[in-house]
Amino acid sequence: MSHLLKNKELKELAKIYDYVSMCTHCGNCKYGYEYGSASNFAAMLCVQGEKFNFDSYRGSRGKVSLARSLLHNRIGWSDKAAHVLFTCTSCGACQQMCETDIKPWILRMFEALRYEAWKQNVAIPENIKAWSSTIGTLYNPYKEPHEKRLDWLPSDLRYSMPTKAEYIYFAGCTASYRRKQIARATVSLLRKLKVDFTVVDDEWCCASPLLRTGQYDLAAKFVEHNKALPEKYGASGFITTCSGCYRTLGRDYTMDAPEGYADKYGKMTGVKVLHTTHLIEEMLNKGEIEFTGRFDKKVTYHDPCHLGRHAEVYETPRNVLKAVPGLQLVEMYRNRKFSYCCGAGGGVRGGFADYSLETAGKRVREAEATGAELVTSACPFCYTNLADAIELNKSQLKMEDIVEIIEPIVRRK
Amino acid sequence: MARGNNEILANLEQIVGPEYVSNEEADLQPYTWDMTWAEPRMPDYVVMPKTVTEIQRVLRLANHRKIPVIPYCNGTNIGGLCVPEEGGIILDLKKMDRILKIDPETCYAVIEPGVSHAAFSAALKATNPQWKGEEFSKGFEFGWGVHPASASVLAMAINHGIGHLNGRIGINSQLISSMEVVLPTGEVAKIGSCAYSDSWHSFLPLPRMDGLFTGWLGTTGIVTKLGVWIFPIRPYRDVLTIAAASAEDITKYMVRWRHYSLCDEVTAVSWWLAQIPIVFPYSPKPADAPEFFSYTVISGWSEEELAYKRKMWKEVVEKERAKGTKLIDFEYPPEAKKGRTELPSRIVGSTKNYSKSCGGGIAWPGTFAPCRSWPILYEKWKEIYIRHGLSPATRFTDYQGAHYGMLRCMTPFNKRDPASVQAARDAMVECVRAGIPEGMLPYKPPVEYQNELNAVADAGYMYLMAKIKDMLDPNNIMNPGKLGIR
Ligand SMILES: Cc1cc2nc3c(=O)[nH]c(=O)nc-3n(C[C@H](O)[C@H](O)[C@H](O)COP(=O)(O)OP(=O)(O)OC[C@H]3O[C@@H](n4cnc5c(N)ncnc54)[C@H](O)[C@@H]3O)c2cc1C
Ligand code: SF4
Ligand code: SF4
Repeated sequence: MSHLLKNKELKELAKIYDYVSMCTHCGNCKYGYEYGSASNFAAMLCVQGEKFNFDSYRGSRGKVSLARSLLHNRIGWSDKAAHVLFTCTSCGACQQMCETDIKPWILRMFEALRYEAWKQNVAIPENIKAWSSTIGTLYNPYKEPHEKRLDWLPSDLRYSMPTKAEYIYFAGCTASYRRKQIARATVSLLRKLKVDFTVVDDEWCCASPLLRTGQYDLAAKFVEHNKALPEKYGASGFITTCSGCYRTLGRDYTMDAPEGYADKYGKMTGVKVLHTTHLIEEMLNKGEIEFTGRFDKKVTYHDPCHLGRHAEVYETPRNVLKAVPGLQLVEMYRNRKFSYCCGAGGGVRGGFADYSLETAGKRVREAEATGAELVTSACPFCYTNLADAIELNKSQLKMEDIVEIIEPIVRRK
Repeated sequence: MARGNNEILANLEQIVGPEYVSNEEADLQPYTWDMTWAEPRMPDYVVMPKTVTEIQRVLRLANHRKIPVIPYCNGTNIGGLCVPEEGGIILDLKKMDRILKIDPETCYAVIEPGVSHAAFSAALKATNPQWKGEEFSKGFEFGWGVHPASASVLAMAINHGIGHLNGRIGINSQLISSMEVVLPTGEVAKIGSCAYSDSWHSFLPLPRMDGLFTGWLGTTGIVTKLGVWIFPIRPYRDVLTIAAASAEDITKYMVRWRHYSLCDEVTAVSWWLAQIPIVFPYSPKPADAPEFFSYTVISGWSEEELAYKRKMWKEVVEKERAKGTKLIDFEYPPEAKKGRTELPSRIVGSTKNYSKSCGGGIAWPGTFAPCRSWPILYEKWKEIYIRHGLSPATRFTDYQGAHYGMLRCMTPFNKRDPASVQAARDAMVECVRAGIPEGMLPYKPPVEYQNELNAVADAGYMYLMAKIKDMLDPNNIMNPGKLGIR
């Protein structure tokens, strides 16, 4: 009898064995589709399966099956197993398709598998190992000094930020170190909109890269640190421009520990987490925003997986874009819950840059096919990958974050 | 950890390219099992060909080295049919996913094995029936089942799959019109009209050689192209429902209704199958609940046509009631109705049903049986199932013409509990044994059912089958162990 839990060494995985074994191996997760009178959608959504072909790589079935094979002691750990695990972008398209009770556990299970992989002598991608070795002291995965975290902030603002405010603008590592213009545009926007906010120099990485790559133990201290910030600055909430930060602060920090799990970190309660697009939409709805200019361009919106499938925020960014005078919004074939990942998530951009950019290249071509002149998104990490792919593929497309589109042409009424 | 041997790996790499072959256990593991009780078995290689020539070369190599070859698309057959009994090569055909032709005038399409139901349906919906450019209606359809949309249309059709047109037009193997196969020894053959021209519309009036490759569970060759009939989507659809106090009563109603040939499908499910999730382990139904719930799908080109069909259906119900058949009115849940009218359904028939209450195991005695045997076998199966602690979650579906139809009992079980697996397997095999004398035949049969069939089969039939198998596959490399004849 081969379906018995024989490998109890894999403790984190063994704890969710009940859920792992709820997978029926049906393969629904290998393809995206929806029918009905209004929709007629069918497309491959799993970036990993599309690239690496075999069923081991396609959707969650391959990974659940890997978990079971390991737990049943039918196969051992190998570099190949690590490759199967770490080339998944955690985009959640497979989870979206699953209809069985394992559904809410799928991404968590991928993380648990990665958690176990770290304890084995297998080929974790070198780059992931590299940033992981310094994140504990630098508090960012880009190997940049923590003291430079706020270098993006214009010096006149840097020292005039209030010590108490309603919101903390949590810029996140990518905007802080790599896409500074998005952080700057956000601060300028928040000031124009007269939002009571501050920026803090003791912001640490939200821990998204750690959690997604299964480094729970290391993540715990980041969660504990960041969740104490609101109280310290008298804030009632966080505002993020990064979808990864939004997902992590808004969901990972606040969710109950999954059944069977020892609590990895205390739960964050009573703190609002808003994506910038939430804030803008809310103010638009209240009539508090006035447009001072136009954006006469055809634009397509790329759903970041962390904002879309992970947090089910699909319409908010679109509503914001639709409100912009002159902006013509066109959709890619794969959009909303059936969006196609930019290829960067789950540690893939760091771990497998070529494959990550190849995926982004596919998305860029899809954006081009809409006839749009500009692709926008709501995440500096998606921005990075898509902008790099635009450059690499010599595409005529332009890339701007939603905040960059809005900031120059609004004021508070 | 790697399996197989490096020389063969190198040969396979030469044929399909290194990125399309693997002998690593981490890649092989999803191919070791399926949802059924089939004991997991490791293949030695997985190979993903992209062309017919590559398949020919793989088969020649496999023949030469006597390596088993298991054709595979998505492994969702619910019969353990792709579990590699003797190891060997999983020939994963997903990369061959072209829809080669959709002919909107002659109403057929030509597809490769990797074409999923999702992709095929989307393409058909976007193609309008027409004659010389003049369009008649919107979109085509094929017989859509309730399996995952990633499943292969070709694999389903060649294994007598069951779709939503089964009542009107027949099961999906009856919709096949031509095929191309690679024989186990590497030759390519076209069968049907496509053997003479590029028209893939029909097997008739030729000798029916397609029978050598349908229902054989991938043991006689690799089907590389399939012509299938497609049908214009009728714009009007409705679902009519009725329940009954017994299997006998629901069968009487279904058979009478089917004689009129007015519906696309008529199906009945026992109380246990109507519950989501299926009751597991068994517990009795409430005394006042009907034993069977039935739905029938009607379709038409106008509201008038539907109205006529509704009128005829009402007459059937009234006539049966007048004879004393106990038929009970009930409301079909809107979600279920959507699943029957918006096709193929996103609601994958059965997966939802299974996982919470148990440990991911699904199987069934899935059979074709003459309608008159349904109530007889239901009572027998019910006794067997309850004795094994399982719910008799039974389904009857009539196939075109009131001759025969599906008799099936969906069976969840807990894969983590050996006793649960054993009970389910024992119950199902016992049901098959009880059914064969009543004319029942299992479809996509797991090895255990095949053994039951072979034990009582006509000797001449078995001789002929073995002879065909030996002729086509002299080294018994194709999916060995499945049909139980070699
Ligand atoms: C939840 C659920 C619901 C289902 N509902 C239905 C339903 O309503 N109707 C229905 O018919 N089925 C149903 N099925 C069964 C199954 O999904 C279908 O029969 C499906 O089409 C099989 O496709 P596959 O790609 O998974 O084939 P596979 O499982 O990969 O292959 C099936 C068989 O065909 C052989 N084979 C595959 N390709 C070839 C080839 N090119 N040449 C020769 N042999 C080949 C294989 O060796 C195997 O024996 C259901 C399954 C599930 C899990
Ligand atoms: S999360 Fe995305 S990349 Fe990973 S298996 Fe699922 S669909 Fe594929
Ligand atoms: S993860 Fe869900 S959709 Fe995928 S095979 Fe398992 S049960 Fe099916």
